[in-house]
Amino acid sequence: MSNKIAVKVDDLTVAYNYKPVLWDIDLEIPESVLMAIVGPNGAGKSTLIKSILGILKPIAGSVSIYGKSYEKQRSLVAYVPQKGSVDWDFPTTALDVVMMGTYGSLGWIKRPKQKQKKAALEALEKVGMLPFKGRQISQLSGGQQQRIFLARALVQDASIYFMDEPFQGVDATTEIAIINILKELRKAGKTVIVVHHDLQTVPEYFDWVTFLNVKKIATGPVKDIFNDDNLTKTYGINYKVSIQE
Amino acid sequence: MDIQEYFSLVFSDYTLRTITLGTAILGAVTGMLGSFAVLRKQSLLGDAISHAALPGIAISFLITGAKDSNTLLLGALVSGLIGTFWIRGIISKTHLKSDTALGLILSLFFGFGMLLLTFIQKQPNANQAGLDKYLFGQAATLIESDVWMMAIVTGICLFVLLLFWKEFKILLFDKDYAKTLGFNTKAIDILITSFIVLAIVLGLQTVGVVLMSAMLLAPAAAARQWTNSLATMVFLAAIFGAFSGVFGTAISASQDNLSTGPVIVLVAAVFVFVSFVFSPSRGLLFKQIRFIKNRRDLQLHKTLSFMYNIAETHDDISHPHEIKILNNFHGFTKGTLKKLVDKNYVILEGSTWSLTNDGFKTALNLYNQLTKKDE
Amino acid sequence: MSSAQIEIQLIASLVAIACAIPGTFLVLRKMAMISDAISHSILPGIVIGFFITQDLNSPLLILLAALTGVITVVLVEYIQKTGLVKEDTAIGLVFPVLFSIGVLMIAKKANDVHLDIDAVLLGELALAPFDRLLISGVDVGPKSLWIIGSILCITVLLLLAFFKELKLSTFDKGLAASLGFSPAIIHYGLMTVSSITTVGAFDAVGAILVVALMIAPAASAYLLTTDLKKMLILSIIFGVLSAISGYWFAHWLDASIAGSITTMLGVLFLIVYLFAPSKGIIAVLYREKQQRIEVSLLTFLLHLKNHDDENERHVNHLNEHINWQKVRSKIVLDLALKNNMIMIDDSIVFLTPKGDKFTTQAIDYIITNEDAQIEGMKDDFFLFRG
Repeated sequence: MSNKIAVKVDDLTVAYNYKPVLWDIDLEIPESVLMAIVGPNGAGKSTLIKSILGILKPIAGSVSIYGKSYEKQRSLVAYVPQKGSVDWDFPTTALDVVMMGTYGSLGWIKRPKQKQKKAALEALEKVGMLPFKGRQISQLSGGQQQRIFLARALVQDASIYFMDEPFQGVDATTEIAIINILKELRKAGKTVIVVHHDLQTVPEYFDWVTFLNVKKIATGPVKDIFNDDNLTKTYGINYKVSIQE
Repeated sequence: MDIQEYFSLVFSDYTLRTITLGTAILGAVTGMLGSFAVLRKQSLLGDAISHAALPGIAISFLITGAKDSNTLLLGALVSGLIGTFWIRGIISKTHLKSDTALGLILSLFFGFGMLLLTFIQKQPNANQAGLDKYLFGQAATLIESDVWMMAIVTGICLFVLLLFWKEFKILLFDKDYAKTLGFNTKAIDILITSFIVLAIVLGLQTVGVVLMSAMLLAPAAAARQWTNSLATMVFLAAIFGAFSGVFGTAISASQDNLSTGPVIVLVAAVFVFVSFVFSPSRGLLFKQIRFIKNRRDLQLHKTLSFMYNIAETHDDISHPHEIKILNNFHGFTKGTLKKLVDKNYVILEGSTWSLTNDGFKTALNLYNQLTKKDE
Repeated sequence: MSSAQIEIQLIASLVAIACAIPGTFLVLRKMAMISDAISHSILPGIVIGFFITQDLNSPLLILLAALTGVITVVLVEYIQKTGLVKEDTAIGLVFPVLFSIGVLMIAKKANDVHLDIDAVLLGELALAPFDRLLISGVDVGPKSLWIIGSILCITVLLLLAFFKELKLSTFDKGLAASLGFSPAIIHYGLMTVSSITTVGAFDAVGAILVVALMIAPAASAYLLTTDLKKMLILSIIFGVLSAISGYWFAHWLDASIAGSITTMLGVLFLIVYLFAPSKGIIAVLYREKQQRIEVSLLTFLLHLKNHDDENERHVNHLNEHINWQKVRSKIVLDLALKNNMIMIDDSIVFLTPKGDKFTTQAIDYIITNEDAQIEGMKDDFFLFRG
């Protein structure tokens, strides 16, 4: 971890139908951490990511990526959306989906060429999905679909990766494979931000954590702040989690 | 005139050529753009738009008094777009759901259009005849300039489609992701919707308000069954659409009293039916065959593992057993026994059977797989 | 007013009522487009029935056509179940095909008889009084009146008998099933009633007006109330109102009555859509603006509570740092001042005790997601009113 701040969120307030779901969030995510965002259902975890990425418009506040606005730093950011957000019956193959990761850097109108295809194939290789490149995406298992999404983000070759519940509906092998890739990314100096549900695995997978429940409860290194006190503050009830040392 | 005569005349006869070319182009462009409507889950939007276009035709006639189809279609385009965006307004700003919004705009606009049409018919204006054709379509009224118009619009559609192919694709598949990549999803969205409206309006004169939605959906729904690639799907939909147009025209021209629009729709429906049933990967027929085959395999495996359990109790696996023992077993039939013999898993001798080495190995494998799964 | 005129208005009103009842449930069950599909696909049923009976008003024809309507629904649901196409594509595929079959059957066989598609689609209400029902030589009124009257009676009886079941299965399918009301029976029952009503009405007003009369009054009523009984009554009133005003409008314009009634329905919907007290577009836009200010105010107060640092609470900071996009900071500032939520001392903003209490409460309620509590706060504090 370096001292640089990768993502800075200032006074961010977001509302769905004018009901606040995120309130006055201040958040600084340092470069080269693997961070989990945890909190109960409806705490605004996905909303936080989506508003950082400009998918949702905040009511107030601002976001900066390495000191500049998101619009200017788009190329530094990759996104893995929640699995339920796309139409899996869409007529497209695994390779096709991964190629979409190159669309951003291509910009309007320009078509992907051999170079982009090569990058996509490499990404597929990395997530162990090369043999499935021609498969229609609905014919893949939940874990395989998630790997495809991860490959698409890898193709973007970004500095910051946002992932919305990448372990949802995924088999154990894939979960380990994904977390290993994420750890590799962090080693390479990238910042990875993951919306996460399974509190048990937080200390094992992540080195940085943000507790969120409409407001920001706490953010910092897992070893310092991942404790019963913060969990209780976030989840309301007296929450105890057995942390495997 | 029979079908053969039609095809011998189609290249020489001006009217036939015009109509055939017109319906073919129309089928191609609606098939192409229909693919997007289907994939966007906006299948019924086409129906609503085509109905919503009717008052536009009437109003533009009332204003200009023109009978020329391009002016009228411009009115249709405007009113179709108004209908589309009103539907969106209703869905986004009230708690009425999309089906209600579609049904509302469809019936209200159409009713208003009918009011205007009947009003026009009562006017002492000799020009009015011919507006009726927009209800059910009359391919016979197509003239060369209409076909040119269609060809030009199709060309523009094709150009835009190829130009923004990548953008269309990513918007259809994953809108939020497209947004994070910096694409203006609203602009792409409006572009697609406008082209869908344009294609619908273009077809009104030929197939009419009521049947237009089928032109949009049927080729795309058929094409989807044959491929898992968007490009192939759009291409196939265009082909299916064009063929529906040509065959429909041919059939209706070779019979008396068959209007072109409904025949085209039925031909397209045949494409859909064949695709639903016979498509190798998704079709119902092959699905059923696979289902039956799986069930048979399962029965075979059950019988084999039952035999294995019996044979296992003997030191010598090829020890013959009475066939009668098998009668106690639920899944056993003479057919399955015969299949096992064919596969060389079992040897029959008189009233006894015995497992072969092959059969024993296969059964052992099955057994291991099963126990593994249980773990 | 001549007796024919009265009869036309009576028929139109009865049709409106008969349509409004199933229409309300179709809208609530998100199946409005099914009525469009049925209204088109009954055509082959009508044609076949006509070949057999040679009478557009025969009960057999009505039953046959209604059967086609139910077949449409079954077919649509079958195609949806195969998963080969997305849900609504199935509707869009089935009805044009059935309609085409009907059109071609008419073209091939019925050319010499009085059955043309224009009439099926648009109806001819003006002619309805001329087809009289004679019982042993005595004229008892127009046939259409009797047909639609009987259908209406059956619909009303069914509605009264099964109101509880209909209501339950519309709002909570799971509960209805667990209480032993089969949702399937209610579903197909409703589909059958819709089909019969459509067939019974098409002769008088045409297929498209049936769709309009089913959906538009119910949709307008739904914007005014969410109470099922009130919604039914309002739909009926809207339907009858449009039917009668539509008749006179057509009379004045000398144009299609069906088209005119639909236009009246459209005008009515437009008025409700714009001006409905809490769900109309103007009310919604106004409320959204209010809420935007409210949320901004809350955000601002929360910001003050969260930050002790003086420069975070400087008046200018509002503009620079919080990055207001939609609401001008001045409005928010004035609003907070007016309600004694904040004090400004030398351009530094402070929360007053009242503001502090308010903010704490608001956060608590929003985090615990208790809407009821927020409703209570709306009474205490002016700003949630709206």
